Amino acid sequence: MAALIPNVLQMKAEFLQATWETIYMTFFSALISAVLGLLFGVLLVVTQPGGLLEDRLTYSVLDKVVNLLRSIPFIILLAVISPLTNFLIGTTVGTTAALVPLIFGIFPFYARQVQNALLDVDRGVVEAAESMGSSPMAIIFRVYLKEGLGDIVRVSIVTVISLIGLTTMAGAIGSGGLGDIAISIGYARFENDITFVAMIIILIMVFAVQIIGDWIAKKVDHH
Amino acid sequence: MATATNIIDLKDISVTFKTHDQTVAAVQDVDLTVEKGDIYGIIGYSGAGKSTLVRVINLLQKPTTGSVTVSGQDLQTLKPVELRQARKKVSMIFQHFNLMAARTVLGNVEYPLLGSRMSKADRRAKAARLLKLVGLAEYADTYPSQLSGGQKQRVAIARALASDPEVLISDEATSALDPKTTKSILNLLKRLNAELGVTIVLITHEMQVIKSICHNVAVMDAGRIIERGRVSRVFTQPQTALSRDFVETSTNVKEAIERIGSTVSIANFASNQELMYFNFVGQSTKEGVLSKLSKEFGIDVNILFANIDQIDGENVGVMIAILTGDIEGFNTAVTQWKDRGVTTQILTDANLKGGEL
Ligand SMILES: Nc1ncnc2c1ncn2[C@@H]1O[C@H](COP(=O)(O)OP(=O)(O)O)[C@@H](O)[C@H]1O
Ligand SMILES: [Mg+2]
Repeated sequence: MAALIPNVLQMKAEFLQATWETIYMTFFSALISAVLGLLFGVLLVVTQPGGLLEDRLTYSVLDKVVNLLRSIPFIILLAVISPLTNFLIGTTVGTTAALVPLIFGIFPFYARQVQNALLDVDRGVVEAAESMGSSPMAIIFRVYLKEGLGDIVRVSIVTVISLIGLTTMAGAIGSGGLGDIAISIGYARFENDITFVAMIIILIMVFAVQIIGDWIAKKVDHH
Repeated sequence: MATATNIIDLKDISVTFKTHDQTVAAVQDVDLTVEKGDIYGIIGYSGAGKSTLVRVINLLQKPTTGSVTVSGQDLQTLKPVELRQARKKVSMIFQHFNLMAARTVLGNVEYPLLGSRMSKADRRAKAARLLKLVGLAEYADTYPSQLSGGQKQRVAIARALASDPEVLISDEATSALDPKTTKSILNLLKRLNAELGVTIVLITHEMQVIKSICHNVAVMDAGRIIERGRVSRVFTQPQTALSRDFVETSTNVKEAIERIGSTVSIANFASNQELMYFNFVGQSTKEGVLSKLSKEFGIDVNILFANIDQIDGENVGVMIAILTGDIEGFNTAVTQWKDRGVTTQILTDANLKGGEL
């Protein structure tokens, strides 16, 4: 063991902390992005032409915002957004500061995925609900979100996995976490075992998310 | 004729869809009144505007012009919340059932009651009662994906009844079902009409469906109602080519004429032979006609095709036969039959070739 991963064994505490930092960044940015992504996704679907609450202006603004944010490469977003981060959090380094770019990096992606999931909800079912006198709010919650839940869970898994990837990139601006260790210690000091173990821990996280997510998706899906 | 017994009263309805480069007049100048308790059919080919027209009844589709009165209420004057309330009195069932895949069968039937003042226990009890009514009590906890098409439509019917509607609109509800299942669904609708008094408006492209349960029918073509009336009347005396077409398809007369045309040549007939088409309505029966022809006029009848139906309580039938014998005497018989509901027509090679009467 000591021969295989000598540097890691000396940095157990740092690894433990970095793992927690990655979980912390993933969890909180996922939470806030989920709210924003669901909100945007639902709004995009109901305000689209022919939608439940058709509103061309709202739709076109949201659509453009999402497209714009999705077009910015994350590594550039990290830098570009730092004044906003500084304004909101008071600093641009550390795990909490990293939440800001992570959220802006992931929620537009999630919003699109939610939008697509909801567009897959059968128009006929929505029409049936309308014919039964359901209000737009009732249709959003009792039809769109309920019928689309299986797909929403599936796109959430994909999103969280992408998000774990983004947290490692945030290491580039000193966010902490496994990406930070892998680059600023493992890579910089040529301590390959550090990079390698960081990767293994991330892979374990990804698999865990995938397995739990698939299990939930299966539970809620009755198609 | 807006009377108190008209539960649906559409006046001067037009619906025009404008897409970026074209306008489609889906419904044009349609008046439609449906009496309370009726089973009213609307028949037409795909694209005729049937769905658009019935979606106007609950204002899922706002008409470009015209007024919509249901149960004496002018729907276009209602506030959104009042309109939603009014919609609960006009339920719909659809060709593709439109059940919610994420809810159990019971959950689907319970759906229209969510948000009402009913307690959860009462909602479930009512949904269970409706499932029993449509014969699916034991499927309460399964999901729609596990049901057959006919069962899904029964669930959809139970769901449609949950809000105690006055009107049930069926938009091609049997078009995705096999003939046997279609029959059972139509029987169920008939029973609900009789037992609950719910008025039914039924869209279809099959005359067979109209024939089996409707009392009145409107024939739609290119956004307009081109013919309407009692089903027995439209069936026996269609006034338009389209209606005749629907009737002939449903009685298989068209197919029969084509089949006969490929096996029989009128040119080879003897001088005392004719190919004759008969149409019976009311008390006259095929048997009565046949025995009179052979006994009184000594005419030999070789039946090539016959189809007898019951429409809205009346016997209706068609027959095609080769007659051999005294055609003069036959003509005497025809005059006597006229007012007893039997009409005849001599078929020519032109009829056979064209496949039409
Ligand atoms: N939302 C819509 N936008 C544009 N055209 C439509 C819309 N709904 C229906 N139409 C058109 O209106 C016509 C009638 O359609 P529909 O009422 O569905 O006919 P049917 O139910 O008799 O098959 C068709 O030409 C159809 O393409
Ligand atoms: Mg249609």
